[in-house]
Amino acid sequence: MAKTILAVDDSASIRQMVAFTLKGAGYEVIQAVDGQDALDKANSHQVNLVLTDINMPRMDGLKLLELLRKLASYKNIPILILTTESGDEIKAKGRAAGATGWLVKPFDPKRLLEVIGKVIG
Amino acid sequence: MSETQSTGINKIKDSASKKTLEYADCIYRNAEADDFFINIKGELNQVDRLVSDAVNNLVVNFKFISELTKSHHEMVLAIEKLAAPEGSKPILELLEKQMVVADKIEQELEMAVTSLQFGDLVTQLLAHTSRQVEMLSIELQRVDRQSGWGKTSNKKMLKRVHEGISEAVAKTTIKSTRKPVVQQGMQMGDIELF
Repeated sequence: MAKTILAVDDSASIRQMVAFTLKGAGYEVIQAVDGQDALDKANSHQVNLVLTDINMPRMDGLKLLELLRKLASYKNIPILILTTESGDEIKAKGRAAGATGWLVKPFDPKRLLEVIGKVIG
Repeated sequence: MSETQSTGINKIKDSASKKTLEYADCIYRNAEADDFFINIKGELNQVDRLVSDAVNNLVVNFKFISELTKSHHEMVLAIEKLAAPEGSKPILELLEKQMVVADKIEQELEMAVTSLQFGDLVTQLLAHTSRQVEMLSIELQRVDRQSGWGKTSNKKMLKRVHEGISEAVAKTTIKSTRKPVVQQGMQMGDIELF
């Protein structure tokens, strides 16, 4: 059975590029436009991995991460951050909030799939 | 009314008129500055719309090319199966060449996935710049309101203008959020697993 990935980004083009890459590798992809949308979808779907941006309207990626980690079903689910930001301070915040890894945009499809393969098992 | 009195009144009238003009000029300058900042914001929004439009079109083209490539790949495989029993060497060689072409197109499409992310980076940078322009505009207006330019000499006024601009820039810098995009090119970003 295909594993499901929740891809969260307010940029439609990034969501489409992520979905194109992941679907091509056989994953099911659920798309969310911001943290709030992702939280709603995370509650109503069984997800194997979350891939989220940081800077988004309504709810940012760090808040989403924090809230997801409070849910019993998301305590051990890999959550990867995919963002333009690469500063040590924000990375440390992500790490403290429970992120599994940090990927700086732009992503390379092969490398993204390698990382996902590694953390999703 | 004596001539001296008349001259005095005229002087007062001139002075009042000059002050009114200075005040009007000040308002005019503020309106001009407002227009200038509105224009900058308008142009930044225009760039954002153009980039978004171009990216949307490119993504549609990308998907279409990707679908065509898949169909082409499947077609080549189907022909290969049909041709295999015959063992026709020229056909098999041609199909092999077609497979090489299909693989190369796939590689190029993968590279395009990375390049097409430029829209997101540009949009974030534009939003950041737009916010800074708006904050600078607000700070300059505040400095302008507090300064009372009309009460000072030209030299002092110029000094105040310089100080006011520096103050506005400094405050904008302090209020600015961190720059969301530091990338200088479209090379793949770093990956770190915690």
